Amino acid sequence: MEEQISMLHGSGGSATSKLIETVFAEAFGDTYVNDMDDAAVLRGNERIAVTTDSFVVTPVFYPGGDIGRLCVCGSVNDLLSRGAVPKYLTVAFVIEEGARISELKKAASSIALTVREAGVKIACGDTKVIEGSGGFMINTTGIGFVEKDTDISARGARPKDHIIVSGSLGDHHACILSQRLEVSNSITSDNAPLTEMAAKLKKLKVHSIRDITRGGLATVLYELAASSGKRFIINEADLPVSEEVRGFCGIMGLDPLYMGNEGKLVCIVDEADSEEALCAIRESKYGEAARDIGVVEEADEGELFVITSIGGRRRLYPLADEGLPRIC
Amino acid sequence: MTIDSVKAFLKEYDGEDMRIMEVCGSHTAAIASCGIRDMLSDRIHLISGPGCPVCVTPSSYIDKLIELSLKPGYCVVTFGDIMRVPGSRESLLDARSRGAEVVMVYSPLDCIDIAEKSPEKIFVFAAVGFETTAPVYAQLIDRVIKAGIENIHILTAIKTMPAVIGRIMENGAPIDGFLAPGHVSVITGYDAFSDIARVYAIPFVVAGFTGERLLVALFDLVKNRGRGLVKNDYPSVVTREGNLKAKELTDKYFKPCGAVWRGLGKIKGSGLILREEYSHLDEGSVFLDEDIKLNKACICDRVLTGSKNPAECPLFGRGCTPSSPQGACMVSREGSCFTHFVNDIRGK
Amino acid sequence: MCVALPGIVESIEGNDAVVNFSGNKVRAALGFVEPKIGERVLVHAGYIMQIISESEADELQGLLSEIEELI
Repeated sequence: MEEQISMLHGSGGSATSKLIETVFAEAFGDTYVNDMDDAAVLRGNERIAVTTDSFVVTPVFYPGGDIGRLCVCGSVNDLLSRGAVPKYLTVAFVIEEGARISELKKAASSIALTVREAGVKIACGDTKVIEGSGGFMINTTGIGFVEKDTDISARGARPKDHIIVSGSLGDHHACILSQRLEVSNSITSDNAPLTEMAAKLKKLKVHSIRDITRGGLATVLYELAASSGKRFIINEADLPVSEEVRGFCGIMGLDPLYMGNEGKLVCIVDEADSEEALCAIRESKYGEAARDIGVVEEADEGELFVITSIGGRRRLYPLADEGLPRIC
Repeated sequence: MTIDSVKAFLKEYDGEDMRIMEVCGSHTAAIASCGIRDMLSDRIHLISGPGCPVCVTPSSYIDKLIELSLKPGYCVVTFGDIMRVPGSRESLLDARSRGAEVVMVYSPLDCIDIAEKSPEKIFVFAAVGFETTAPVYAQLIDRVIKAGIENIHILTAIKTMPAVIGRIMENGAPIDGFLAPGHVSVITGYDAFSDIARVYAIPFVVAGFTGERLLVALFDLVKNRGRGLVKNDYPSVVTREGNLKAKELTDKYFKPCGAVWRGLGKIKGSGLILREEYSHLDEGSVFLDEDIKLNKACICDRVLTGSKNPAECPLFGRGCTPSSPQGACMVSREGSCFTHFVNDIRGK
Repeated sequence: MCVALPGIVESIEGNDAVVNFSGNKVRAALGFVEPKIGERVLVHAGYIMQIISESEADELQGLLSEIEELI
């Protein structure tokens, strides 16, 4: 097999078939449920949850993960935010001419590993080849099913609810930026599918769940506060942030509250179940560093505040700009 | 004395109104991120002055950078914030998206590696900053000369603090005390503020950047109201004379000059420019006096001198936001308008 | 524009040092102070601007004692 992708691989002819067979089908194995039909017919119930995402991260391979793992986690975790049980994924590759086949194989293999961990199957896929400089991008659509009595949404927060975060903030974002800016540290991405964690929370009175992605915790909590029309108050001193990520943010002039993750969730839990929820998360994989960071209050309209570590109060808004490192 | 008693004093203070100006962008940012305003009595007012060198850079400087970045064979090298400042028509970032050559770095010294890799291009470093950053520009020039590097030039907009504070007080601003800039003082020494403190009989306190240090410094200022003194509340890094080696090297390559501050006009002796014998490394810093507003309604000039609050600008939050800044104060993360916007501070 | 951060000098080579900020290692130029390996320094725009002479806790304690006299 050749080493690099050329426009021939995108032609739809034998080169394309060979690519699909030797790179994707080979890696996906029994996680792929389609028999090479143009569409897959799936089983489920009436309440279908669907989400879609495109992954264009660079670098494609980074400490702690790669675009393959990332694309599965992204869609799976989005489904979990609606209380859905993730079941299927579609995977579409857009590959630039010159991309290395060995890298595609690595990414495909990561996808397979992660879908197994997440308990989902790949329903169908697609590949396209375009002109470019050797990169590749992936789009995934996640499909899950919501049970009849589940009602988890952004509007769900109620007064006295607790705000619980499943672990340290900003790891993925800090990892990617460190690679791009060549800052030497040992920060790794936290990209992970949170299916097990979400399943444990199912039995408890959880009113909202969100995975913390681009824009960070502050952006997610702002949206939940705005949707529910309640006041959210979090404590800076209780926020879990690793020393290294804190140091990195210090150098770059960034705020961990606005740095994205790819394997952490925040949930808004009824006061009665908050202790149990915290334990449940801490007992799940990827949840050891979970913290109870704040409470929800009645309000006239949605607001988000942080009590700073010296006891001041600061109102938070969604991320205002790109999060590029500040120098001055 | 404990931090709790400092907090209690500041919250309960009911003496004469105390207007305190800070002139350091990092203080602006630290005060906001620690939520300090919320911890002060209504009688204590914190005003942001011209402490962000990016914010006080006139539009002609940005226009010149854009011109250079579009010139064949040239490339502009800069810190991040400067890229988004609007000139009279557009920003460097806008220019880059239509083909201008602009590179962002963390340190001016990174320029040397970049220039080495492309000897056919001329790299112009956008040398903006206060006394804190001037020494590293001096180091850059020093290394360029010693290594005989021929393709690095600079365009300067370096400003110095004492003169601008003097001008603010001369203009009659009702300020009762200053939080003296923490890191500028590391280089200049806290003595740089003694004269102004004495002449206007107001206290200057050099403060660090943590919540606790800022609270202690504010306590110190309120308690010393009416006394013309300088107090050093950052002794672990600030001394009376400052960093002599840094001052010497800066002085070797740069001389004082008049500089244009957005909103204040030209202030004598408030800037630094390359000395004549090194002027061949200068890309025309001396002719950049004009300041044309991108948006006529922008009042950055009055915000910068503390005479208007960001929320009083007709554009604040309406057309001027961090993602579409109409003036420099909204661009820089240490700008008053940006800080007020992201923390929703209204008129305190 | 005075973002300067305290870090620990990890190694020195000629005109440069590697400074460690809680696990993030960044190159910084020397020339204005002479730090030793293991010392805490203040770094701005890629250069070491000062050696930090006392710990954060000690400095704060010192300041609190000083302002006692103002009560």
